[in-house]
Amino acid sequence: MFEGRATVEAGWSGFSYIVTNLARFVRPDEITFSGVNSALPMLACLLAKQAYPFDFTYINVAGGVDPSPSKVPISSSDPVLAEGSRSIFSNEDFYDLCTRGLMDLCFLGAAQVDGIGRTNVSCIGDWHAPRVRLPGGGGGAVMLPTARRAVTWRTEHSRRTLVETLDFVTAAGGMHGVVTPIAVFVKREGRLALASWHPEASLEEVRDRTGFTFDAKGAGPTPPPTPEERAGLAALDPEGRFAADAKIRLR
Amino acid sequence: MSAGASKIVSLADLAGRVPDGSSLALGGSFLHRGPFAFVRELIRQGRRDLEVVKQSPGYDIDLLCRAGALSRAKAGIVAMEGNFGLAPWYRKAIETGQVRLEEHACASLTAGLRAAAFGVPFMPCGGIHGSDLAALNGWKTVEDPYGSGETVYVIPRIAPDFAVIQANEVSEAGDVRVFGTSHWDRIMSRSAKRVLVVAERVASNASFRDQPELTLVPHFLVEAVSIVPNGAWPGSLWPDYEIDYPAVEAYMEDGPGVLDRHLAAGPEAREAAHV
Repeated sequence: MFEGRATVEAGWSGFSYIVTNLARFVRPDEITFSGVNSALPMLACLLAKQAYPFDFTYINVAGGVDPSPSKVPISSSDPVLAEGSRSIFSNEDFYDLCTRGLMDLCFLGAAQVDGIGRTNVSCIGDWHAPRVRLPGGGGGAVMLPTARRAVTWRTEHSRRTLVETLDFVTAAGGMHGVVTPIAVFVKREGRLALASWHPEASLEEVRDRTGFTFDAKGAGPTPPPTPEERAGLAALDPEGRFAADAKIRLR
Repeated sequence: MSAGASKIVSLADLAGRVPDGSSLALGGSFLHRGPFAFVRELIRQGRRDLEVVKQSPGYDIDLLCRAGALSRAKAGIVAMEGNFGLAPWYRKAIETGQVRLEEHACASLTAGLRAAAFGVPFMPCGGIHGSDLAALNGWKTVEDPYGSGETVYVIPRIAPDFAVIQANEVSEAGDVRVFGTSHWDRIMSRSAKRVLVVAERVASNASFRDQPELTLVPHFLVEAVSIVPNGAWPGSLWPDYEIDYPAVEAYMEDGPGVLDRHLAAGPEAREAAHV
């Protein structure tokens, strides 16, 4: 495959691209949350703690508040993510925090995303007779419309994941950002706009592989990872176990 | 001062209290601190037509679907998690219509439980606007009667027949202590009609009196308790043990005898057989 050869030379795998660009959404002094079924955002939050020279509050679904986990777990809801935490901020707490408007950045999963950043995590096909029953919305329907910013990721960039019409609207309210192995979208004037593309991809490729139309004004190749970002991710995944599990390919 | 009569019963007795057709709020989340020995015991006893009420079920709901014990579910997000992906037998049960799903957001399910816990027929829930889940479930909105102009969704009361909590420690009288996050166990224990508990071990009454703030559920809310070491297997129970990934991997295999072998490998079954 293309990725095996080219990304070793260029040094930016789809896995690293997604984690690094998710981390770049984290801002100083904000409250940022990662949830269940979210290994890549979990890594992004831990990476931001290591790579960026600013403070932010990282809370997670295991109840952790700025934890110092003794290892990086496979499960993004593993209780080790509360290790070293000075309090347990449990599920009801972080949902209530979000609905009262104090969640700055929230990472939420999606199977399909449309051009205004709504998501489907429920089903492929008709909800009542699905071809595929998906996990379901979890936090989405409540957190997406109430978080100040929500960001999602897709490990596959295609017209079946980035769609014109969702099979089901699990959550509305609109993603602030979407990261795929080849692109970063950020919401502008109510629609997802292309912010940048993987240096080994192109605007044409992103257009080709995206089911919704988007504005690309000002977009260009994504700035490569900084030495701090590279070192941070290497420290979190020294044996490449997460990279291997994630099975992310550019094409 | 009495500490109360012992509520400790065998796991078979505990599971035997659940009639066919019951709705069960199961504690924990995905592979973490779920009452998994209890769920396996329900299957051994041949229970049918059950309902799971849980924001993030995974292994537990998948196992019940695989055994044909489930007919309904109220859930927010269902997956095996870890790196195991979707819950395959649950998925098949929904796709074939064997199980009827009421799909929630985790917080809307919590709102329904809060309504039951607070003794009111419905509970407002933030967000939801624009989601197809509202029409799907017939959720209604109310306008703020105090005139803020805000419109909020209200979720009808959800009162499970049972909450089943997996705990680290209990007193003999049934006070319940959990380490790490309590997930949604607290609201489950306040909304369900009856509360059953499986614990890793008994701790002294004195230890509960020394630190009452660690008690998640007081004994008077608890009907009965079983002591099952490693009862959350193959999941984790912080800080006592982690997920047994090879055991989950073995469970995920599809083939004759896999379910029976898995049930036989449960620590509660090995204990009973003196393995």
